[in-house]
Amino acid sequence: MGPLSRDAWAQRLGAFRASPSAFMAGPEGEDLGRDLLGDLRSEKLSEQTKVSLLALSLEYPAQLWPDVSAAEVAATSLLDTLVLLPPRPSALRRPLLLAATTALAAGGSLGPTSGASCRLLPLLLGLAAGSDLGRGFVPASEQRPLQATACECLRELESCKPGLLGGSLGLLRGLLGQEGPVQPLSLLLALALRNTLVLQSRVGAGLGGLLTDKVPPTGGGPWDWTLVEEGDGRLQPQAPSWPAAEEGEGERSLTAREHSPEEARELRAAVIQLLDTSYLLTPVAQAQLLWLLGWALRGLQGQPPALFKPQLVRLLGTAQLTLLHAVLALKAAFGEALFTAQDEALLLRRLTLAAQHPALPPPTHLFYLHCLLSFPENWPLGPEGEEAAPLLLGPQLCRGLLPSLLHDPMALLARLHLLCLLCAEDEEEEKGQLPSPRHYLEELLAGLRQRAALDEGPRALATVCFQASYLVTRCLAGQPTVLTPLIHGLAQLYRVRPMLASHFVDFLDQVDSELREPLKVVLRQEVVSRPGRDEALCWHLKMLAKVADGDAQSATLNFLQAAAAHCTNWDLQQGLLRVCRALLRAGVRGGLVDLLQVLARQLEDPDGRDHARLYYILLAHLAGPKLGVALGPSLAPPALASSLVAENQGFVAALMVQEAPALVRLSVGSHGVKGPLPVLKLQLEALEPIYSLELRFRVEGQLYAPLEAVHVPCLCPGRPARPLLLPLQPRCPAPARLDVHALYTTSTGLTCHAHLPPLFVNFADLFLPFPKPPGGAGLGFFEELWDSCLPEGAESRVWCPLGPQGLEGLVSHHLEPFVVVAQPPTSYYVAIHLPPNSKLLLRLEAALADGVPVALRTDDWAVLPLAGDYLRGLAAAL
Amino acid sequence: MAQRAVWLISHEPGTPLCGTVRFSRRYPTVEKRARVFNGASYVPIPEDGPFLKALLFELRLLDDDKDFVESRDSCSRINKTSIYGLLIGGEELWPVVAFLKNDIIYACVPLVEQTLSPRPPLISVSGVSQGFEFLFGIQDFLYSGQKNDSELNTKLSQLPDLLLQACPFGTLLDANLKNSLDNTNFASVTQPQKQPAWKTGTYKGKPQVSISITEKVKSMQYDKQGIADTWQVVGTVTCKCDLEGIMPNVTISLNLPTNGSPLQDILVHPCVTSLDSAILTSSSIDAMDDSAFSGPYKFPLTPPLESFNLCYYTSQVPVPPILGFYQLKEEEVQLRITINLKLHESVKNNFEFCEAHIPFYNRGPITHLEYKTSFGQLEVFREKSLLIWIIGQKFPKSMEISLSGTVTFGAKSHEKQPFDPICIGETAYLKGHPGHYTATWTTECAMSSEKLHFRILDYTLTGCYADQHSVQVFASGKPKISAYRKLISSDYYIWNSKAPAPVTYGSLLL
Repeated sequence: MGPLSRDAWAQRLGAFRASPSAFMAGPEGEDLGRDLLGDLRSEKLSEQTKVSLLALSLEYPAQLWPDVSAAEVAATSLLDTLVLLPPRPSALRRPLLLAATTALAAGGSLGPTSGASCRLLPLLLGLAAGSDLGRGFVPASEQRPLQATACECLRELESCKPGLLGGSLGLLRGLLGQEGPVQPLSLLLALALRNTLVLQSRVGAGLGGLLTDKVPPTGGGPWDWTLVEEGDGRLQPQAPSWPAAEEGEGERSLTAREHSPEEARELRAAVIQLLDTSYLLTPVAQAQLLWLLGWALRGLQGQPPALFKPQLVRLLGTAQLTLLHAVLALKAAFGEALFTAQDEALLLRRLTLAAQHPALPPPTHLFYLHCLLSFPENWPLGPEGEEAAPLLLGPQLCRGLLPSLLHDPMALLARLHLLCLLCAEDEEEEKGQLPSPRHYLEELLAGLRQRAALDEGPRALATVCFQASYLVTRCLAGQPTVLTPLIHGLAQLYRVRPMLASHFVDFLDQVDSELREPLKVVLRQEVVSRPGRDEALCWHLKMLAKVADGDAQSATLNFLQAAAAHCTNWDLQQGLLRVCRALLRAGVRGGLVDLLQVLARQLEDPDGRDHARLYYILLAHLAGPKLGVALGPSLAPPALASSLVAENQGFVAALMVQEAPALVRLSVGSHGVKGPLPVLKLQLEALEPIYSLELRFRVEGQLYAPLEAVHVPCLCPGRPARPLLLPLQPRCPAPARLDVHALYTTSTGLTCHAHLPPLFVNFADLFLPFPKPPGGAGLGFFEELWDSCLPEGAESRVWCPLGPQGLEGLVSHHLEPFVVVAQPPTSYYVAIHLPPNSKLLLRLEAALADGVPVALRTDDWAVLPLAGDYLRGLAAAL
Repeated sequence: MAQRAVWLISHEPGTPLCGTVRFSRRYPTVEKRARVFNGASYVPIPEDGPFLKALLFELRLLDDDKDFVESRDSCSRINKTSIYGLLIGGEELWPVVAFLKNDIIYACVPLVEQTLSPRPPLISVSGVSQGFEFLFGIQDFLYSGQKNDSELNTKLSQLPDLLLQACPFGTLLDANLKNSLDNTNFASVTQPQKQPAWKTGTYKGKPQVSISITEKVKSMQYDKQGIADTWQVVGTVTCKCDLEGIMPNVTISLNLPTNGSPLQDILVHPCVTSLDSAILTSSSIDAMDDSAFSGPYKFPLTPPLESFNLCYYTSQVPVPPILGFYQLKEEEVQLRITINLKLHESVKNNFEFCEAHIPFYNRGPITHLEYKTSFGQLEVFREKSLLIWIIGQKFPKSMEISLSGTVTFGAKSHEKQPFDPICIGETAYLKGHPGHYTATWTTECAMSSEKLHFRILDYTLTGCYADQHSVQVFASGKPKISAYRKLISSDYYIWNSKAPAPVTYGSLLL
């Protein structure tokens, strides 16, 4: 594609600027960067058009050349274009330098491995030094503007890669002393000096000869990147934020420096040189210089902050925002070392007068007011980071800074803050002062409320009234002399203009309970004392839904009853029901039942009736706490922004049983034999506090009779629970699997259901002993049982392996309760009753070293394999 | 200290978007630093569309303030500076420096060289003051001498090139964009050595210095027990020094006659090289006494090429130039008004113009008027519910004039009639001066008051003057000195003494 015409480019650039992301996503997006670079060399386009192309590349390099390599290619191409310019004056040289710098710095390819960087840096330094670059590269008329531009480019690169110009300090200093343009060189030198100081101190090195070395570092050789690399490419705040500078990094790097007397002298000379010519800089540039040098010299040994003194008087007299701000920065950096108490007082006075000077614009006033309340005092008293009036800013100084109704909202709030701070201090002062700030504050708030009460007033008037009230409650909490009139004033405002209900609700949400509770009471009174038909009914209902609680029930209910007759549309009915709901939550029951019943019958809208009925049912069926949860804020975020949906989801969550992961762990404990039935001993453990736990068991295969559910009132993690006893009624003597479900209530009031891992009832868990025969009759009793098993039953012999504990250990561990006849350690006769009505008899005799032969009889064939498995597993089970 | 981006937005109420981005400029190298410095709290600069919407919402300039919107109207969202946090796509862009002036919103986002959570205090962010200065500079450039929209458009179209000079990489080099314009125009002129950065060339021609002193007098008059009337003079001294040489040294002095009122709260131009401590410390904050420094006020300086404001001052003159008395009473369907104005004998009775504006707020149009005046003419603006009493060039010999009458109003139609949050009921004022009182919504108060507008040439209330001997030039050739003075009224309110009126703390100090 050939070069685009001027108009085509204008159109294209317009489309791009309208929405860069949309343009880049479109069909032309991909080619834009390449076309732009190409057409810069086209001879058909005018310089003006090319400048507009370059302007675009200055703003959107990341969109045009999105990755590092593209940025590198672009910078190279821009440099080529620059070199190829014919040797006559051209408007393109400056923007080309700026564009190449931007592409490298923003694209992230600036570094020793980047070819474009290695071409650009010496070029810029050469231009900045005003040296002859040969071949008429720079026409004479452009030399000075380009020198300044090159300095700006170098400064930007140094900002993005601190340390880049560490090796050129001496050169820059020399240039500044001779003929170079003062402002660009001063700013560049100051920045490079500051960065070098920080980086050198980090590696523990001094400045060395950097300040005096006047030979350009390149000298035709490669650029020196060592200082950049020492800094890890970490950015240096040119003006570190004050609290950040107080600690850690800043402090360490600034105090750790040691300079030789020689170095210190050179450094001081360089700083004085910069400061002495600083009046030649524009005010904004002077401010930058002061920020840079102030923080560079802070804490530096041998560099007295008094160096700045000659500048201060001149600066204090100006109206320039940047200059006064820079003075404040010096104040923060040096404190008492530069500003005596008298100086501090003078600075405060200048700041105070600047904050109200009629000749300055309002945004400036506001910023100065902020500066006053964050003033870096020599000896601050209050907690750091909180806005406070400086100690030296007495009531006399503040007089002109107090708010009045004629101020615009921001000025009013800013000044109100100061007034509140004065009132807070005034507390302990003598009362004779007239007019007292507190009285004035009250009058002002009353005036604000009066304005907010205006019928046609814009919302902003109401907003500023509530913001002011909020500010006052924040600053003067705990001062009833201020808060009481405020509460009554607000109640009065509500009486006059109930449509501000939304503001009141928001206000109640924001303030502390100290103000909230009494305000709620008076607002409730305000609403319920005015029953009946009223245009403001919807606002009253909105208000009441916020302030209704258990107190003054009858008045509230009377109001609602009276209001119900006028709630003719859906909106009002919903408002009414919201109040009912608030009352339900607050635990009101008595009269509310009647009201809900009436509403459920009377309301015109079926939806309203349904809701009333629902609330009635809830009230009738749920206990207080559960009701609170059911009506609380919905737990699930509603899919639709409808209150109904939200409410229904809330109910569903609160009233239905939730499927949940198990919060209890259940395990079978040690076996015990007591009573006529086998009993499973269960151990319970909770992961969170749970209440009203019900455990339900189901036996697989109906091997046992159905099991009763087990109830536990409450269970807390970490607190051991008593073991649960679960009696089993086997229908046949066999092990089984129990399915376990848990139902419980969480501490948030939700009812949950969880499926627990199954429990296993082992064969041995079913064992019961036979009643003990009278003393000495054991053997006969056993023989009788032994004989009774045959012929219906079965007989078998099993090899039972013995562990190291031998036969005695085995018996005492597993079979102790069932032993009928014992001749330790050689012979044991064991009789086991297996419910419902089977028996298992064992003779363990003549044990060998590794096992014992067991003769067994049972009257139930089905038991035989189970018994065999049991005996064979005994040794391993120990 | 640098800016990440800057915008100019025209506020167009009534249009779908309520505004248009007229100019924007982004600084990608600064943005790259912001990403590193801000770390996890970094929020990128949005495109113009979303920025416009978020800014107008935050500044309450969208036409939808009917309903309560928590993110804007909540009582805890208190903004006390012109620096905002804008919610854009769920993230908060902060700090955004922005203000509205003459229907243009000026906005920029300064770089903060640390993490943004927790937010550092504004005072510690160097880019904030630079941002303000940047925006003020653009504002000065757009509105200096600009009269109509096409001129504004021309100037807007010059901005990209100017910022290429004044702020190529987001770090502001010169807030005076006019200098950059000259720089672009005279780029080919070889500049001499050690040229100040704020002086783009040298003057060639006859040496001349012109000094013009403009005093504005403000007043709040209540005529009430327990409330003091207040008035204040605000002076601006503008100079233009056409002198040869790179850095001519000049000393300009302002003088007061023996009975003159001392100048206070003096703020000077940065080109002033040193300042007497008496000038630095004379301040309206202190109680006045006879020992107050009364000049001459000497300002040694190196002047820039263009016209500049040498200094601003305030002063507390012993009496207001015109003492007013205004009564307004509601009588059934009509209002009865009585106004007396008295010119102080010490004031020069030779006005360029003088008129009193008597607005009636929160009422319908004027339907009927009966009046009697001892002097001057009365103009009636029925639909605007406004009376203008044209007093003319001179007060009569008695120095006292009066106006009385009754005004009847029609039904209030909600749209057209002026609304005012202060002038409710009988609270009213009278005021006198060309209205450029710009606080956006407390303007033109409606309790009742009258506002006086007047201008007197070749006169200052303080007596402050400059003359042939006021200028010392340490350069070859004696310059021609010209000096001008004028007094104009500004926010000169006379409140209805029969109703409550807004007071300042100062007026309670009797």
